[in-house]
Amino acid sequence: MGSMGNRKALEMVRSMPRVSFVNIRDNPGSKKQKKIRGQGGSRGGESGRGRSGKSKRDTRPPIGYEGGTTPFYLRIPMFPFYKNFATRRQYLPVSLEKLQHLIDMGRIDPEEPIDVTSFVHAGAVRINVFDRVYGIHLTDEGADKFVAPVNLEVQWTSELSIAAVERSGGTISLGYYDPQSLDILSHPLQFFRRGQPIPKRLLPPKDLVDMYTDPSKRGYLSDPNQIKEDRLLLAQKFGYELPDLTKGSRRALHRLRKDPRQIFFGLQPGWIINLTDRAVLKPVDAELQEFYRA
Amino acid sequence: MFGRVCLLCSLSRPVLSAHLSRTHQLRAFISSYESQYSLNKLYPGSDQDVTKPLDKPSKELFLRLQDDIEEVSETEKFSGFIPIDKLNIKFSKSGGPGGQNVNKVESKVDLRFHLESAEWLPASIRAQIQEKKQTNINAKGELVITSQKTRSQMRNVQDCLQKLRDIIAEVQRTPKEPDENSAAVWRMRQEKSTRERLKQKTIHSRTKTDRQVYADE
Repeated sequence: MGSMGNRKALEMVRSMPRVSFVNIRDNPGSKKQKKIRGQGGSRGGESGRGRSGKSKRDTRPPIGYEGGTTPFYLRIPMFPFYKNFATRRQYLPVSLEKLQHLIDMGRIDPEEPIDVTSFVHAGAVRINVFDRVYGIHLTDEGADKFVAPVNLEVQWTSELSIAAVERSGGTISLGYYDPQSLDILSHPLQFFRRGQPIPKRLLPPKDLVDMYTDPSKRGYLSDPNQIKEDRLLLAQKFGYELPDLTKGSRRALHRLRKDPRQIFFGLQPGWIINLTDRAVLKPVDAELQEFYRA
Repeated sequence: MFGRVCLLCSLSRPVLSAHLSRTHQLRAFISSYESQYSLNKLYPGSDQDVTKPLDKPSKELFLRLQDDIEEVSETEKFSGFIPIDKLNIKFSKSGGPGGQNVNKVESKVDLRFHLESAEWLPASIRAQIQEKKQTNINAKGELVITSQKTRSQMRNVQDCLQKLRDIIAEVQRTPKEPDENSAAVWRMRQEKSTRERLKQKTIHSRTKTDRQVYADE
């Protein structure tokens, strides 16, 4: 249902010739005219070099040239204190004390597996992958007072933190997320609204492979049997009895682990989550299915 | 209705109720997705279930924490395993500066156990500790180890246990016997150093004598 203005416009258009590139133009102000070099007093054509003379015909000295004396930028020696700092990986710290506090305040549910999403939704960290953040570093401040039995997944931690978590009857593992996967994990709803299939999580880069295959660091790509051995060793080292995880109602929780290619629990790579229709779209094509299982 | 799929599991059967039972959800999680790099495929011989303990931990497992132990005999060898429940570990406040934190936090660790009745230690090691570490044993016959090295109670417990393992290793070390030649070599070196010392002393004495000035010169 159109208003009077719309109806008039449509009637006008009905009687006009066909719309083509010949009879349309941009809205005024949408395209700014590019300034052509040197369209000043002499009306251009000199490429900014001015009227005839040596300065028009000569080659110019390099930037920073000081007529022969050692230029400032060469006088001062190099101090590469922050060289490559901009490219280094960052891990946002969350202490065990903070984690205990979040659990006590009900902001994190210890009955569910805890990963990056839990920390972000609890407001403990704000992850921006464009700041080269590669995940969460669980620090050992508050290790003495940590008592919650949790199923925890972080990206960096220390031996004492692992001991504190396992002493309380929990499990901890280190899992790598490439920047795209981390962004998706930190902002899941935003990702689901894009309507894109869940991508496969990439494997860690060369310099991180050693860490993520190390059982003493509880890497997600390490041998489970070696992890069990290391749990016993750590209990001996830090002087506590390793709690029996087979007993109690939390056994099912502690067995949950993501596949190395999985970003979310229960959701596979290749699926599209439709929140409005509350449906999951899965690839039917055999090639696609093979790709997402690779 | 049949277009809708259970959001939580990979089975595409119709969902009748929005609320699924907890066990169904969790069972689905465990059995859902396996990629090329799943742990089943990377380590086929290992059991992925972290909750299940190892059937048979290797004998040398706990010896990784312990320095070389002399093998007296198969029955007498220390396995490296210390039963924590047999130890009496107490916490108290540490000393030294540190303000409110050191006043309130119980970071000092006191570890003690009755030496004679420690069945987990071979009898030979117990005897050696009794002989060589008398200063660490109290009137009740308990070996006492304390630590307030760090701010953290857990780290201090680790330190106490490390000290215990160091004691076990230390009492088993036999001092190296000097061989036949080395006694003679040592004596010759002693004599040489004495000769050298006396020579320097004589030189110094002459210097001092030369500085003396007599009134009639």
